[in-house]
Amino acid sequence: MIREVAIVGVGWSPFRSITPDLSYKEMMYEAAVRAYEDAGIDPRRDVDSFVTVAEDFNEGTSIFDEYVPDQLGALHRPVQTITGDGIHGIAAAVMQILTGQFDVVVVEAHSKASNVLTLPHILAYAMDPVFNRPLAAHPYFIAGMEMRRYLAETGTPLEACAQVVVKNRANALRNPLAGYGADLTIDDVLASEPIAEPLTRLACADHADGAVVMVLASGETARALTDRPIWVRGIGWANDTFWLESRPWGQARYAYLAGQMAYSTAGIKSPRTEIDFAEIDDTFAYKELQHLEALGLCKPGEAGAWTLEGGTELEGEFPVNPSGGSLGEGHLLDCTGLARVLEVVLQLRGEAGPRQIEDAEVGLAFAWRGVPTTSGAAVILSN
Amino acid sequence: MSLMYRIQHPRDALVWEGEIPLFSRYTMGIAGERFFREIMENGRLMGTRCPECDLIYVPPRLYCEQCFAHLDEWVEVPSTGQVHTYTIVHADLDGNPLEEPRILAFIHIDGTDGGLVHYLGEVDPDQVCIGMCVEAVFKDKAERKGGILDIAYFRPVG
Repeated sequence: MIREVAIVGVGWSPFRSITPDLSYKEMMYEAAVRAYEDAGIDPRRDVDSFVTVAEDFNEGTSIFDEYVPDQLGALHRPVQTITGDGIHGIAAAVMQILTGQFDVVVVEAHSKASNVLTLPHILAYAMDPVFNRPLAAHPYFIAGMEMRRYLAETGTPLEACAQVVVKNRANALRNPLAGYGADLTIDDVLASEPIAEPLTRLACADHADGAVVMVLASGETARALTDRPIWVRGIGWANDTFWLESRPWGQARYAYLAGQMAYSTAGIKSPRTEIDFAEIDDTFAYKELQHLEALGLCKPGEAGAWTLEGGTELEGEFPVNPSGGSLGEGHLLDCTGLARVLEVVLQLRGEAGPRQIEDAEVGLAFAWRGVPTTSGAAVILSN
Repeated sequence: MSLMYRIQHPRDALVWEGEIPLFSRYTMGIAGERFFREIMENGRLMGTRCPECDLIYVPPRLYCEQCFAHLDEWVEVPSTGQVHTYTIVHADLDGNPLEEPRILAFIHIDGTDGGLVHYLGEVDPDQVCIGMCVEAVFKDKAERKGGILDIAYFRPVG
């Protein structure tokens, strides 16, 4: 990249299934206060620009950007809201800093999923209104169909998907931020109620409320602010076709494309050996496997066996979702990607407590925007 | 700066119930119009072909997503295809259990590079498999309204 960019502050409002006491604005405020404290900055004085990520329908509002400034300390300042995932927000902040016009940019995303009473309807509204929506099906049918095709093409056993759930929810037991830590067995996952076969209830991430705020800075400013900057080495994002009718149902091409762009900007040629661990979208258990393969972290069709052998466990050769992922932390809607990035930052700082990965130097975060999208974004960080 | 006090009891945590009434019209457009009129009036499926990429789009589109060419070559395509993947859905749009689980599939339409997402009928869930040959069952002409539901479902051939 033409200019160095680092993450110099992170803050959060913890991830829980319900948050009856705080409004989404107060959750954002809570996360922002932590992030500014962590970065040692005053938002009214030191921040040049603010980026939020939100989707109107998830907020139950329209024109969400108007709702933003006050709770972030952003009144009267440059503010932009992106409809995308949190990693798209990081990309926007990085680009702003690369212009040379901005030195400190704040990124925010949140989820108040417990206030959304008709989430499947909102997801269904994202499907083609003429060809798909009249079928009036629960939108997780897309995940069920994708999972079946992925399993068929790769020969991956159902048990491998279930092991992703077992691993990630166990990892979440070591993460005080996570809302869904649990000690499960493969049989628990396989025996849970079917949603869209072969997808079962426990193989789908339940939702959580939460907020994450990050402070990004140019290299010089980052070094002045902190002695432990976490460097943005590469970033990439991509979409596959909108049409369900043109998709490669077995593969996550968006993840391949986003990963290639991130590797290219980071100068990474061999991701498996040059990256130490990853936080990868696991909205549905099979997605972690499909994404691992698409991101070139193992060969096509090998993610299942790798997972069953324990290679992606916390103590394995390549830990995946040490935070617990969306399965263990709870799915945070538009904030999902920032939750992935947050864990990478904590690991690279050596602040991950009982789930700390030894000698972690380079980490990857990858987010997918959920059904029915083919929207992916990846970022590579190092200490 | 910080949250100095927090609400201590759920009875003190108030909410306001709101709703957004949304009603929309969705213009089918030139390609959608022709596709659904052919189903409604002639009970047949049509696609558009990109001669540059040698691709046949179903649903038809006016532009190729690979090379961005304008497409004006319309071709009739079979109403038969193969199950590319499928699922058995157990929840309705509100997340409640369906009394009767339903089979949804992506049907790759024969001789094309596309297909349709639709329900399967006249078949038990445990009989469905990837690669199964199926055909569209059109509703009676009098019942067709110009939409994807003019196809009642797809069923196994033979």
